[in-house]
Amino acid sequence: MRGRTLTTKAAAVLVAIVACGPTAPALAQKPVKIGVLTPLSPPGDASAGQFIVRGAKMAADDVNARGGVLGGRKIELVTEDDSGTPEKGVAGFRKLATLDQVVAVIGQFHSSVMGAVQELAEQFKIPVFATQASARSLTEKHLTYTFRTHVIDPDRVSLWNRWIKQHDFKRVALIAENTDYGVGLVEETKRLFKSMDVQADLKTVIFDRAVVDLTPQLLEIKNWKPDLVLNGGVGTPVYLVIKQAHDVGLFPAVPMLVSYDLPARPEFWKNLGDKGAYLTFIVYYHPTMKLTSRGEAFRAKYREQYKEDPVYGALNAYAQVALVADALNDAKSDTGEPLVKALLSNTFEGWNGTISFSHGEGPYWQQWTPPMLFLQYTKPEMPFGEAKIVFPPQFKTGDLLMAPKR
Amino acid sequence: MDAYLFSQYLLSGIVIGLIYSLMALGITFIYSIMKMINWAMGEFYMIGSYVQYALLVTLLPPERWYLALPLAMGAVFLLGVVTQRLLLRPMYVGGIERRDEYATIITIALMVFFRNLAIVLGGPNQYAPKDYARATTLGTLPISGNRVVALVAAIVLLTLFSLMVKQTWLGRAFRGAAQNRVGIQTAGIDVLRLDMLAFGVGVALAAAAGALLAPDFLVYPENGSISTFKGFEIIVIGGLGSIPGSVVGGVLLGVIEALGSVFIASAYKDLYGFVLLIALLVLRPTGLFGERERTV
Repeated sequence: MRGRTLTTKAAAVLVAIVACGPTAPALAQKPVKIGVLTPLSPPGDASAGQFIVRGAKMAADDVNARGGVLGGRKIELVTEDDSGTPEKGVAGFRKLATLDQVVAVIGQFHSSVMGAVQELAEQFKIPVFATQASARSLTEKHLTYTFRTHVIDPDRVSLWNRWIKQHDFKRVALIAENTDYGVGLVEETKRLFKSMDVQADLKTVIFDRAVVDLTPQLLEIKNWKPDLVLNGGVGTPVYLVIKQAHDVGLFPAVPMLVSYDLPARPEFWKNLGDKGAYLTFIVYYHPTMKLTSRGEAFRAKYREQYKEDPVYGALNAYAQVALVADALNDAKSDTGEPLVKALLSNTFEGWNGTISFSHGEGPYWQQWTPPMLFLQYTKPEMPFGEAKIVFPPQFKTGDLLMAPKR
Repeated sequence: MDAYLFSQYLLSGIVIGLIYSLMALGITFIYSIMKMINWAMGEFYMIGSYVQYALLVTLLPPERWYLALPLAMGAVFLLGVVTQRLLLRPMYVGGIERRDEYATIITIALMVFFRNLAIVLGGPNQYAPKDYARATTLGTLPISGNRVVALVAAIVLLTLFSLMVKQTWLGRAFRGAAQNRVGIQTAGIDVLRLDMLAFGVGVALAAAAGALLAPDFLVYPENGSISTFKGFEIIVIGGLGSIPGSVVGGVLLGVIEALGSVFIASAYKDLYGFVLLIALLVLRPTGLFGERERTV
């Protein structure tokens, strides 16, 4: 009799477990960890890293709210600061791979850091994603575990060369920092000036990323009498070049193009005051863009949460975490090889289009490229959303304005 | 060679050299009295810039930067005094055998601590106070108004410091301590209290440089690293422990970097100071104004 009672009780417990459905095993399952290795302290562009973390966290929350991945496992983000330096990046990646056992790493911003960690990605068989690292060499190595959903420098340079040709600029000065990114920009510009037959003189100046007084370099450029200055700094140097070029009377008398979307950030005007007026800069996102349903949902939620428009870094990090989650489900596995196969054989909903990876030629290996636009601030304190698109012609909402003579 | 460009570079070098000599003076002053190198000097520069910025966005309007400057210096002076009292004084009273190593470890730890504290309190982003003055021209050189302000303030501070050292009782005590720490105690001077004041004054000079250059060189956790680097170059060129050496070394470094930029390439600007430094170490290891230590 007692035995029968026990059997009945055991059966009842079993029925209860089955009736609870997938939630009970999900509670017991360990989370799937995704690493966010990004600059969160100087000398890296820490502001960029903060936006990347914001986007990644919102994506993890959304995936978890939808039930997680691989039959109910939650996504857990593990954030590591690479400080924009290869040595810290390598240490961070090792920790993510060995201690945290992440399935993928996103958030790479500085090309020199990405260049150092991608070898480790191969070793540990963990896909690593360049979120804003754009050096050509990163995907040109044709590594199995390196992916990028960001522009590459040859595309960036060929676009500004087209812009130079369109405006018939005759003397172009490029001032760039001594990192993989800055030196890469200089080399690409020299190379593509020839191959694209740009009829302009080019002067290139490379400066140490740690230097704060750029007056001699900017005086040299000013005395060379350029009609366009290309600003190839990243983070603090971008501000230093703009400020000090303004002080020596180089900018805005001579138009300046910043090579990436730093001026889109909310702190831009706080740091530069009216010295930022008439600046032209490259962006990959504009608030007037039509996004995918995933992108639109993110943008609405971001605006609600942070009371400001998202910047590209946040959008791209969001899309990367979301696509890793999709790929995990497609792979039905949380290990490297099936994940890479799934990334290569499927398409994913990005923030402004469908993302797919293929084995293209040269740097177009496991590479997906967002659009690029040139924007210009024409007055101090101009909101990012009001900046005119001045290039390429098919998206233009305004013409490039020259600053009035001082 | 373009004479116009040359004169611009020369002026630019002299201006930045004089401003950097504030930093060098702070390092060399602390060394003269306490016989230790403060490796966290750049972090006191950084704290000076943060305090200046915080004052100008909270308590004072931006045009009152000249009131914020002494307040920032005062705040960093107090921080220096407290730091010296709690962390550095034990090396003189605790019977520590290897004082140099102790000072190096403590000040490097302070460097890491202050940088991380700045990230925790202010975030990793850059900040900039509003300009102190409008851009102008200095002879042939178009220059930021902030840098002109910094130049004038640096000259005033260097003069005041020199007067304090030469004309006051306290200055005589400092000079005495620099010459012989034991001897000065026989004259009834509390050398430990003097150390505390010297450390406070030295870091306040670095804070002044940070506060003055904040609008041009921005406020962020690592903004002091390059000026520390320049400060150390200057004291080696000018002579460790020499006050005139700090000023002359600063100007010389600025000018050499400027000349190198004109004659060779501006991209290697920071290399030229090192070439001068290496040449001096070979030809005159004590620096331009340094003296060989006398031993009995």
